[in-house]
Amino acid sequence: MSAANEQASRFDPGFAREFYALENGEYAKLCMQCGLCAVTCASREFMDLPPRKLFKLVQAGDKEAVLQSQTPWLCTSCMTCTVRCPRGIPIIDVMHGLKYFLIQQGSKAPVALMSKIFAENMLRRGRVFELALTNSFFLKAYGPVGAIPIALKMRSVGQPMLLKGRLPLKPPKKIKGLDQVHKIVKKATEVMKREGHQDGV
Amino acid sequence: MDKKIGFFICTGCGIGEALDVAALCKVATKEGKAPSCKQHPFLCGQEGLEFIKKDIAEGVNTVVIAGCSSRMNYDVFDFGPEVIVERINFREQVVWCHPANDEDTQMTAEDYIRMAMAKLKTLELPEPFVPEDVSKDVLVVGGGLTGLTAALEVAEAGYRAVLVEKESNLGGYTAAFYKQAPSRPPYTDLEPNEVPAKVQAVTDNPNIKVYTSAVVEKIEGGPGKFDVTIKTAGGSAGERVGAVILATGAKPFDPTPLENFGYGKYPDVITQAQMEELAAKGKITRPSDGKPVQRVAFIQCVGSRDKEHLPYCSAACCVESLKQAAYLKELNPEAQAYVFYKDLRATGKYEHFYKRLQDLGTVFVKGETSAIKIEQSGGQLVVQGEDVILREKVNLPVDLVVLANGMVPTTAGEENILNLAYRQGPELPILKYGFPDSHFICFPYETRRTGVYAAGSVRAPMHVPAAVEDATGAALKAIQVVESVSRGAAVHPRSGDLSFPEFFMQRCTQCKRCTEECPFGAINEDEKGNPLPEPTRCRRCGTCMGACPERIISFKNYSVPMIGNMAKAIEVPEEDEEKPRILVFACENDAIPALDMAGLQRMQYSNWVRIIPVRCLGSLNLVWIADAMSKGIDGVLLLGCKHGDDYQCHFVKGSELAGIRLSKVSETLDRLGLESERVQIQEVSIMDYDQIPGIIDRFAARLDELGPNPMKGF
Ligand code: SF4
Ligand code: SF4
Ligand code: SF4
Ligand code: SF4
Repeated sequence: MSAANEQASRFDPGFAREFYALENGEYAKLCMQCGLCAVTCASREFMDLPPRKLFKLVQAGDKEAVLQSQTPWLCTSCMTCTVRCPRGIPIIDVMHGLKYFLIQQGSKAPVALMSKIFAENMLRRGRVFELALTNSFFLKAYGPVGAIPIALKMRSVGQPMLLKGRLPLKPPKKIKGLDQVHKIVKKATEVMKREGHQDGV
Repeated sequence: MDKKIGFFICTGCGIGEALDVAALCKVATKEGKAPSCKQHPFLCGQEGLEFIKKDIAEGVNTVVIAGCSSRMNYDVFDFGPEVIVERINFREQVVWCHPANDEDTQMTAEDYIRMAMAKLKTLELPEPFVPEDVSKDVLVVGGGLTGLTAALEVAEAGYRAVLVEKESNLGGYTAAFYKQAPSRPPYTDLEPNEVPAKVQAVTDNPNIKVYTSAVVEKIEGGPGKFDVTIKTAGGSAGERVGAVILATGAKPFDPTPLENFGYGKYPDVITQAQMEELAAKGKITRPSDGKPVQRVAFIQCVGSRDKEHLPYCSAACCVESLKQAAYLKELNPEAQAYVFYKDLRATGKYEHFYKRLQDLGTVFVKGETSAIKIEQSGGQLVVQGEDVILREKVNLPVDLVVLANGMVPTTAGEENILNLAYRQGPELPILKYGFPDSHFICFPYETRRTGVYAAGSVRAPMHVPAAVEDATGAALKAIQVVESVSRGAAVHPRSGDLSFPEFFMQRCTQCKRCTEECPFGAINEDEKGNPLPEPTRCRRCGTCMGACPERIISFKNYSVPMIGNMAKAIEVPEEDEEKPRILVFACENDAIPALDMAGLQRMQYSNWVRIIPVRCLGSLNLVWIADAMSKGIDGVLLLGCKHGDDYQCHFVKGSELAGIRLSKVSETLDRLGLESERVQIQEVSIMDYDQIPGIIDRFAARLDELGPNPMKGF
């Protein structure tokens, strides 16, 4: 009986229901495990779970496995799976919904952090300042001490980029009409709030 | 009939350019003794037809047309029932598959003229056999969904149906269904059970005579005149009908022997039928304590797809479980359904229904369901199995378990259903697993008893809409047979053929070959062992003709001497001319179309071959091989259909019987000092046309190695 109790939550609709309530989350119900998305996905080899498995775990109510998965962060929104899914599941939209949910939950995933820093960095000048981006990402993700070995490991990439001028030391100029971009973002944030979402970025 | 022959050669379609037509005309008139030989550049055109009709008006009653295959323009070259039409295939089987203006090609065409003229010597117009007092009524055995539908279809088409049901009420297995799976777009919503309405419609229909609590005690006769004895509660009744539809359906598989499911041990483990009964009460409660259920497990493939029990897929249980899971949710939105399956076979339009069930939040667990164990402890049922997608064990506590138990055809049981007074046994021959034989590839409802059609889940496992479709198809088949018999015509595959086998009884030795080999049970026997042919049961395959060692069975337009004469008409060149001859006997149903298609594709093959179409390889009489061999033909190739469990032979057993006969001829050939390899049989389906040149050329090459037939010139 104890084994049964442990498993009682396995196929419990609890988490599955929570997931289906996310934006586009209910599409995960329809996955029939054909695996076409998995064989199609360009980032599949970097994913811990193919979309197929992720949806199965949603259906099985495995909250922990779903929330810890890197899959939504590695999805590049390339659309390949979405056009091929025979069940017509808009897989990238489900991934977006999940990503948003994870950010709301305060996800500690490095990619989640990267997304946040990227947005902040980009909104400052309307352009990305790569050096600041990498620095703040390493510092925030790994702490001042942890960042050193990582930075050293990345030297072979960073040094040539510096030498070729691909990683400027000076920040780029602000783009023209930056205030317009800010206006757009502000408006989008307002719309999201009105629809019951919290801050989008 | 005194034949007045008109011989016509069409020079269209490249025939005129490839052959010396004037020389061919000489063969027709000099050797073939045709009174005249006329040519026309476009015989199938209006002008060409007038050209032929002019001669018919002047008294010609036998028209020989050398042009395209007899499979083409057969309606164009139909000059009414009084005119014999003989076609010579110069197009597909001569000029399109052999080089133009070539000596050997010309010789091929000449031989075909000789063969046709030899054929005409014994060929007569058939006189149809029309029995007296033909009945066009249709007996339907079984009053379930299929039987009800069949009876209604028969009645709606204007015929009378006689329905015999064993139980006291009509409706059968599906009558008690709480709901029906979707049968209409968008294929997502449950539908009310249509069976009660059908029962009412049948009861109200003046064209349907219903016998309940009744069984068929005996069926004598044949299509058009089956005499049926029906045993009723009060006594017995007689009916004369023209055709029979077997619609006795299937029985649910009893899961008791599968102890791992705990059926019979735990009251809350039930079958699909029991689930219908529970739902019919409007609220699904546990049989054990009457409490409402929240979590229900559906276990698929119980007994089905299991070598030890039912090796086949029962086809309906997946959709039935989906249906039950759907109404579980409808009756109690809080309930949760779990479907344990091996493969979810919700085929075709049911994909939409499956998707709907997923949308309802049903949990599907894939795994080997036969390994599932149901246990109960402390009043809690637990399903133990494995989820092969998650690769983990499952231990799921549930309130109720529904076993998707498969179906067993009623024909698999011990008891007789039809009680046919046929020499070959009282019931339909079985193909596999207790299902009656049917030509499932091309003619699903056809059984090996002409005029008796199997439909619904007795024929093959199927779900509701498929059974309705089956019933409709079988009803149409039944109508077709009664109409054909009333004209003396055959049903498929020789639909409309008016010929039938005649027996020259004085020379019959009562060897029983014909009665045993007829694939359709068309020949009964009298007390002395004489064959008693029932022409309306006959499919005109000629298997009996091929089987008869006395060669006393023949059709007006197809006989042992007729084909023998054709073989003997082939001109066999002297040994030193190095022009071997190969005789091909090709089945008209598949091999001939394949040969035509090879020609159509302009595939080239050896022009040593001469082709004789046969109704079925089953009609092959061994004397033809002896005729050919003694004439000096170097080899004989038999092209027929695939046999075995997945046979494609239109006459079921014909090609197989030819193979058996051939094994005997090999011994004889060996004894005569002729290599048995000179006679070969090959299976060819209509799709195999691309292999025709390979088959023929390989055989020709092998004969070349063997050297000429030593009987040449004798
Ligand atoms: S392609 Fe679609 S249905 Fe198939 S596994 Fe992926 S998400 Fe599921
Ligand atoms: S229909 Fe489904 S449950 Fe029934 S035997 Fe086939 S696969 Fe198994
Ligand atoms: S073997 Fe064929 S032709 Fe002969 S009686 Fe039977 S069905 Fe008719
Ligand atoms: S397959 Fe045969 S038996 Fe069938 S129709 Fe062809 S040769 Fe005959």
